[in-house]
Amino acid sequence: MAMRQTPLTCSGHTRPVVDLAFSGITPYGYFLISACKDGKPMLRQGDTGDWIGTFLGHKGAVWGATLNKEATKAATAAADFTAKVWDAVTGDEVLTLAHKHIVKSVNFTEDSTCLLTGGNDKVLRIYDLGKPEAEPLEIAGHTSAIKKALWCNNDQQILSAADDRTVRLWDKNTKEAVKTLAFDASVSSMEYIPDGEILVITYGRTIAFYNANSLDLIKAVDAPASIHSASLHPEKDFFVAGGDDFKLYKYDYTTKEEMESYKGHFGPIHCVRFSPDGELYASGSEDGTLRLWQTAVGKTYGLWKCVLPENLDGKYNTAI
Amino acid sequence: MTFILEIKRSSGLRFRRVLNETPVSVLRLPRGPEPNSRGFDPTSPRFIALCPTTLPSSSSSSGSADEEEQRLRAELRERFLRTLLLMTGKRVRFDMHEHVRVHARFGASDIDVLNLQVCDLETPLGVQREALLRSQDVIACSFEV
Repeated sequence: MAMRQTPLTCSGHTRPVVDLAFSGITPYGYFLISACKDGKPMLRQGDTGDWIGTFLGHKGAVWGATLNKEATKAATAAADFTAKVWDAVTGDEVLTLAHKHIVKSVNFTEDSTCLLTGGNDKVLRIYDLGKPEAEPLEIAGHTSAIKKALWCNNDQQILSAADDRTVRLWDKNTKEAVKTLAFDASVSSMEYIPDGEILVITYGRTIAFYNANSLDLIKAVDAPASIHSASLHPEKDFFVAGGDDFKLYKYDYTTKEEMESYKGHFGPIHCVRFSPDGELYASGSEDGTLRLWQTAVGKTYGLWKCVLPENLDGKYNTAI
Repeated sequence: MTFILEIKRSSGLRFRRVLNETPVSVLRLPRGPEPNSRGFDPTSPRFIALCPTTLPSSSSSSGSADEEEQRLRAELRERFLRTLLLMTGKRVRFDMHEHVRVHARFGASDIDVLNLQVCDLETPLGVQREALLRSQDVIACSFEV
């Protein structure tokens, strides 16, 4: 019996949701953080979408949010010219890192000792969280606002995407750009998959997959509408993408064929990410909601329950 | 819910698909935020297990330093609330983001000080009889005592 996807809507934000990130799998499950223009990033239980807490303190729209692998720390990037580090267990603010302009992106290293930030002042900064008063390491080079900055290659290199339509790979120690990719359109999102060293980049209607070391193109797919974000399944069999037409698209990574599209959001989709176990993906939208979607529709997982049909002989008949 | 499959063959594939599909059941909806709390339940198993060993925060762990900080915070809070009371009915100058400076008669603030109710708000577009100012947009307010 064919099942129709039932997305789970997580409400609570009052403005568009612009970024979201999952933690790794912890003994307490996995967690999800959402960045919102209402200035109040929220932490949720990853598999159910249940609200756990709100990080209060930013005085402007929050453009980026991330969790460390163990979900013990959170970091946020905001329009109030600060990046903040939070205790993700108590919700307390731990550090405020002042910047000279809107901060758009934050990313922890694998061991959570360093935080990478990037934003409208076009400079990448690396903070040692053990010495927060020390000046950050700065990497300059982009000619426009930085949208996304990520650690890669065992935290030895940095990938950054900016409004100057380039994606650059930097060496953390030499602070030099090792490689640059130029695009015709602004890059809307970037995801780094450490296992397999794959970089997922979206621009215009295209979802492109690159080797994260060489920045060689692996493959590219064009969607029916402008795409704002895409995510590759941990097992690399599917990827999902969402953008301007409010729909979520699911593609087969191997064949590049569109498998499904899902309606549900009432506004453009700004971010989409697979959970660390690949069982669901979360999307954040201009409509102020997060939605959770099943990878295997109909499977019992989280709040979704597989209900067996009453009649097992394969014939359809009306319910009385 | 199941349906009779006796539908016209000329119907599109899409129509047949809608009839055949059953929406996945859910146990309940995801829980939303509590209105009066920022969450992070201290009785949750994760909090209890991890709290003593999470990041050291900037305040010291000794009891007397905590108490002193608490006392100072309470004093500052009381001063702030008394200032709000004193401001009631007075003509106040609000300095806001984007170099906005307006004058208005202050009425009241809501319980979380998220909004400030004012009257006769002088704006470049004219005088607004009643208005609400978003507190997060206000940098400073000044008034004659």
